[in-house]
Amino acid sequence: MDKDSSPAWKWRKLAYGGMQPGFDDNYTGDSFLEDMVTNANVVKRDLCKVILDSVSISQYLCTVILVVLVWTYTLASTISFKSLLLLDITLLISGFIVLFLTARMISLKLFAQYILNILYFIIGLYALSPIYHTLTRSISSDSIWALTTMLIVLHLFLHDYTGCTVKAPGSLTNPTISSNISLNTSIIASVLIASQLQSRQLVFAIVLFSLQVFLFAPFVAFCIKKYSFWLYLWLSLGVVGLTLALVYRLQGFLFVILLGLLVFITFICPYWLTRIQKYKFEINGPWDEAKLCFDITE
Amino acid sequence: MSEKKRYRILMVSDFFYPNFGGVESHIYYLSQCLLKLGHKVVVLTHSYGNRSGVRYMTNGLKVYYVPWKPLFMQSVLPTFSGTLPIMRTILVREKISLVHGHQAFSTLCHEALMHARTMGYKVVFTDHSLYGFADVGSIHMNKVLQFTLADATKAICVSHTSKENTVLRSGIPAEKVYVIPNAVDTAMFKPAPERLSSDQIVIVVISRLVYRKGADLLVEVIPEVCRLHPNVRFIIGGDGPKRVRLEEMREKHSLQDRVEMLGAVPHAQVRSVLISGHIFLNSSLTEAFCIAILEAASCGLLTVSTRVGGVPEVLPDDMIVLAEPDPGVMVQAVGKAITMLPNIDPQVMHLRMKKLYSWHDVAKRTERVYERALTCADQSLLERLSRYLACGAWAGKLFCLVMIINYLFWCLLKLWQPDEEIEEAPDVQLSHQRGEISEFATENGNMK
Repeated sequence: MDKDSSPAWKWRKLAYGGMQPGFDDNYTGDSFLEDMVTNANVVKRDLCKVILDSVSISQYLCTVILVVLVWTYTLASTISFKSLLLLDITLLISGFIVLFLTARMISLKLFAQYILNILYFIIGLYALSPIYHTLTRSISSDSIWALTTMLIVLHLFLHDYTGCTVKAPGSLTNPTISSNISLNTSIIASVLIASQLQSRQLVFAIVLFSLQVFLFAPFVAFCIKKYSFWLYLWLSLGVVGLTLALVYRLQGFLFVILLGLLVFITFICPYWLTRIQKYKFEINGPWDEAKLCFDITE
Repeated sequence: MSEKKRYRILMVSDFFYPNFGGVESHIYYLSQCLLKLGHKVVVLTHSYGNRSGVRYMTNGLKVYYVPWKPLFMQSVLPTFSGTLPIMRTILVREKISLVHGHQAFSTLCHEALMHARTMGYKVVFTDHSLYGFADVGSIHMNKVLQFTLADATKAICVSHTSKENTVLRSGIPAEKVYVIPNAVDTAMFKPAPERLSSDQIVIVVISRLVYRKGADLLVEVIPEVCRLHPNVRFIIGGDGPKRVRLEEMREKHSLQDRVEMLGAVPHAQVRSVLISGHIFLNSSLTEAFCIAILEAASCGLLTVSTRVGGVPEVLPDDMIVLAEPDPGVMVQAVGKAITMLPNIDPQVMHLRMKKLYSWHDVAKRTERVYERALTCADQSLLERLSRYLACGAWAGKLFCLVMIINYLFWCLLKLWQPDEEIEEAPDVQLSHQRGEISEFATENGNMK
């Protein structure tokens, strides 16, 4: 212990050796909090970028509204079974074309596997459609619509807007639990609505249609976005425009609400988000739990 | 010694014997040494299994095991004013002069400090752990800590890093926070009488095998160290959810004969495991102080540790090798420690540790904090409420409301059962204890 030999003991940030001579235990030196880092990882958000990113939300919201529109028209018998089936097939084929063009995963084996999976899926759905048909016969249609609305709102809340729940094979990250719940609520909603229809064929066609959109639309949109952002932007604007036009034809009041919602999502929320950035205060220092620099593979 | 004032201290924490850990041993040793300094110490904790009621430990340390069941991680259910009646009774019965709470996630401690402040006692709080600022759990805990420390007379932290952390989390003025480290019972952790042979180097790991203690880091480090140094063996003591991963690692790299896994090691046997090794490896990802390092150093082991939290303050540079929590750097650090080994004499290290750390030193420094806390001016309820109000726009008002309700409840209790009606507990002075007081400097507290 050489500390007693030198008369002017310099305070050091140490815990051993008892009390440091000449310094009280509550001594706060100049080095206090010198290792603190504030706002190290805070990114300043750009309003323009946030608005462009919010397009994903508007686009998906409109996609879901389009599905709901198809449901309403089918329930009102405006759309026939044949046109619905045509819509299913068109969507399936166009989806595959988009995947081939953007994702560059043209392997014949994978393609065959996809086709086989989808065939299984369609056959299963067809076999189950009589069950779906009579599933909610004893429940009033008002209850079904109320439940469906709640489920769709929950779906929109929990949906993973940054990526897609259905991944391409071999993807590394697993989908989060909330996005899985979101997917499941959308499937329940489709089945509930389908169970209100008159014929089994319609049930089959509408469930197939809904599942195609809920399962694969985010994936296809994700692929397009990765391929070219501007293409994605124009397509999204197209979807938004189409939805607005269809809703306008249906009811004026709903159109105003939807328009207000879209303006809120695309302009007000991003502005809000950039405004509240100044309240962000991040503190890091030696007390933080160390982060491991490697992946833990269980 | 004789003119010195005797304090009557109530230590409160959810964590106490029969549980084992840093906080538990801190309270135990501190209480023992304070008893030897002539003060009266009473410990308050919740009941553990059948252990409920009043018990006496070594040297007449009185422990109240209040019949509240632990709810989550050994903490009782927060009830705000629910514990006031029993705590008031204990405080009056034992004629307590100061309340000392331990550990930020002990609900009992927070409630006791709140009640003690309501009743006008001076309170001291010791923070034993570090918290971040990012996740929901920490944000909540930090607000609770802010509430408790808004009116605490003094606070104690176990390391300078812990002090920085506590000051930031609670907004308490830095000069109210004292740094008093933990210590180690050097009499209990003596090195092996004979030096171990250096043909084979044994690295000891004793920790709970959980994420926070860096078990995943061990999984990466051990195979690499075994590959680079063929004369190294590992002994791993401890149990936990990550044990499976370590066992998998052992199978995968065929290290069954070089990595021994002991499972959970009772605290009484920690020394016997430590003295079978040359190097102690600590891989914690966060640590306010780390008593395990002290125990290892006291047994004469060279320590290799991650540079996290308060660990760099714990030992002089020639007794510890620090490394960033990265497998590559850790492996290099172990290599460096192996080259340092021939110059390490366990007996010399033990003697150095005896000088560096002692619970008596801790107790004397804590005593000074008590002295200062007790000389602080008394404050009226209004003055104290204004301090709570400053804690935040919403939280401030909420804190005030809680304190006012608690105050009214206390007034009601005083009407219902005046202080004079509560029976006072007689002080038990053990016969052999009186003789010991004068020679405390050479004695060491030992856990029985």
